Amino acid sequence: MTRHSFSTKIAKEAFSNLFKKRATEKYPAVPANVAEGFRGKQVLNLSNCISCGLCARECPSNAIEMVVVDGKKRPLIHLDRCVFCYQCADTCPRKVFETSKVFELAVTDKSTLVIKPESVSPAQVAPPAPAASSTQ
Amino acid sequence: MTQTENIQELDIPKLVGASFKADNLPIQTGAMSAVQAPPTKVHDILKVILDADKKSALTTISCLDLGENLGVYYHMRLTKGYFTIKTEVPKTDPKTQTITDLLPGASFAELEGTDLLGVTYEGNLLSGHFMLSENWPIGVYPLRKDVNMAEVKLVPSPPQEETDDPNVYKLTIGPQHPALIEPEKLSVTVEGEIVTNVEPRLGYVHRGIEKATESRTYLRDIYLVERVCGICNPSHARVFVAAVEKILGVDVPPRAKYIRTVALELNRLHSHLLTLGHACLEMGFDTLFQYLWRDREPIMDLIELTTGNRVYGSLMAIGGVRRDLNPDHIPKIKATLETLRSKLPGYRDTYQNDKSLRLRMQGVGVLSRDDARILCCVGPVARGSGLEIDVRKDEPYEAYGEIPFKEIVYKEGDAWARMNVRMDEVGESISMIEYALDHLPTGPIKVTVPRIVPAGESTAAIEAPRGELFYYVKSNGTQNPDRVKVRTPTYANLPSFLKTAIGQNYADCPVNFVSLDPCFSCTDR
Repeated sequence: MTRHSFSTKIAKEAFSNLFKKRATEKYPAVPANVAEGFRGKQVLNLSNCISCGLCARECPSNAIEMVVVDGKKRPLIHLDRCVFCYQCADTCPRKVFETSKVFELAVTDKSTLVIKPESVSPAQVAPPAPAASSTQ
Repeated sequence: MTQTENIQELDIPKLVGASFKADNLPIQTGAMSAVQAPPTKVHDILKVILDADKKSALTTISCLDLGENLGVYYHMRLTKGYFTIKTEVPKTDPKTQTITDLLPGASFAELEGTDLLGVTYEGNLLSGHFMLSENWPIGVYPLRKDVNMAEVKLVPSPPQEETDDPNVYKLTIGPQHPALIEPEKLSVTVEGEIVTNVEPRLGYVHRGIEKATESRTYLRDIYLVERVCGICNPSHARVFVAAVEKILGVDVPPRAKYIRTVALELNRLHSHLLTLGHACLEMGFDTLFQYLWRDREPIMDLIELTTGNRVYGSLMAIGGVRRDLNPDHIPKIKATLETLRSKLPGYRDTYQNDKSLRLRMQGVGVLSRDDARILCCVGPVARGSGLEIDVRKDEPYEAYGEIPFKEIVYKEGDAWARMNVRMDEVGESISMIEYALDHLPTGPIKVTVPRIVPAGESTAAIEAPRGELFYYVKSNGTQNPDRVKVRTPTYANLPSFLKTAIGQNYADCPVNFVSLDPCFSCTDR
């Protein structure tokens, strides 16, 4: 306990690092490795939505707004307010909200930081469905 | 040995009842063990408890608005469990006696009550503001229920006090300072190089979270209190849900308990590595700082893997956890921990024996065991002074009762001891996670709980990385809590700095301060 010395362990560690792979990652040149199950930007399965509005009511940061699309209420997510807790996914009775690994959400115009239900409305989601069936 | 056994058998509620038989004080049991007493009796009851239980200290004072009266609740930490002394003062003249003569560490808790609810403690008076900003009007108490926040008009800040005494030289650390990551101000009076006085100013990141919880549902509050602190966020979420679970009378499934334990210990790992590295940075040992932070990064990846996010895991839910631990991930978690374990002996040897680190830390900020107790210190700060308090051992929660681990205690009481407590706890945490993963029970991870919490009150505590984190939650039978009181570990440890810094070199202030592992985001709430 009373030994006073400059630690040789650190010197050894420093020397061994000369022959090791670098500890840092070359992001963004190399895409970041995101863990499985990461809570990133939401993917909405709006064809399942039953317009109950529970997601909007329970959202801790009031990030979800129910808007009318084709006469039906659909969730619109304000990503600038979203804290990515995915309480909406827990609350939703129909599994509308799904996670994705998308985390690069920096924009220069904050108003574009929304997930609008129009962009994934059932009418637009519809075309890939026949394509999927044709591959069977 | 027999004496400590006697203390463990000590029944404090019974003792208080017997000592004050003539007053016939009502004793409350259940989710919260408490006694109701008139304000004049509090000092005497406190003294009886402090004399009987040699490890007891004040955790915090919760002040709350009860309508006609203001409640002043003194939460005591005992050798086993917690005990509350409840008293009420009229709102029109909210005056009571200070207890700082018995416990100097209670000073901050009292001043906070004065600032936020207007309870005046004779003998410990507040001039100006303690927690609120300078431009907040004097006499408006934000935590009272009758305050209309929309009508509060801010006033111009009073001018800064300038001292005219040419013999007094004041140096200011903060609010923006390279040694502090977060904003806080310490006015240090020096004589030559020697510190003669320290005055803190808290509240630069006061966000009113306690008030905000009252207007949100319990479900939303979990995510709100999680954001009290970025580093120890699962601790805040877990202690809040535990307090609510106590009121509901809900038992968490065993698997959820183990998953919570894994999440909390992973959090302790990353927090301790962070602070060990940060201390090296303060002492100018950048190499070790970089190595510790490099090795912390895989732990952050594990948190992301188990919870779905690097920092805010959002894992805790009332009645269990939100996400199950994937069995396929367990080998990866174990391999990462094993890599970290293989590096620990080198770091530990450096921290214990390196000449420059010893010169910077040994004998700096020495806090004796008795001082640690009366200043109500918690966590590694108390354990570095030889005070054996660890909520995981004293009041086992989640799976801690079933997991073997060693309580790390150092006797020296200086910055070196405090940092080495953390260094040794890193190794213990790794073993605990491995044990928990090996003994993970099967079964459900969550029980369904009602949205409306019945009227009641409870306290919950947890050993967060920085020490004992304490919550008091009062429910009034609606969807929203009536009062949530948060006592964070740094808040309890700050008074010790005001004592240990005096008589030391000014240049040792940053190292002494960082050895408390301060977190102001927590402190200010």
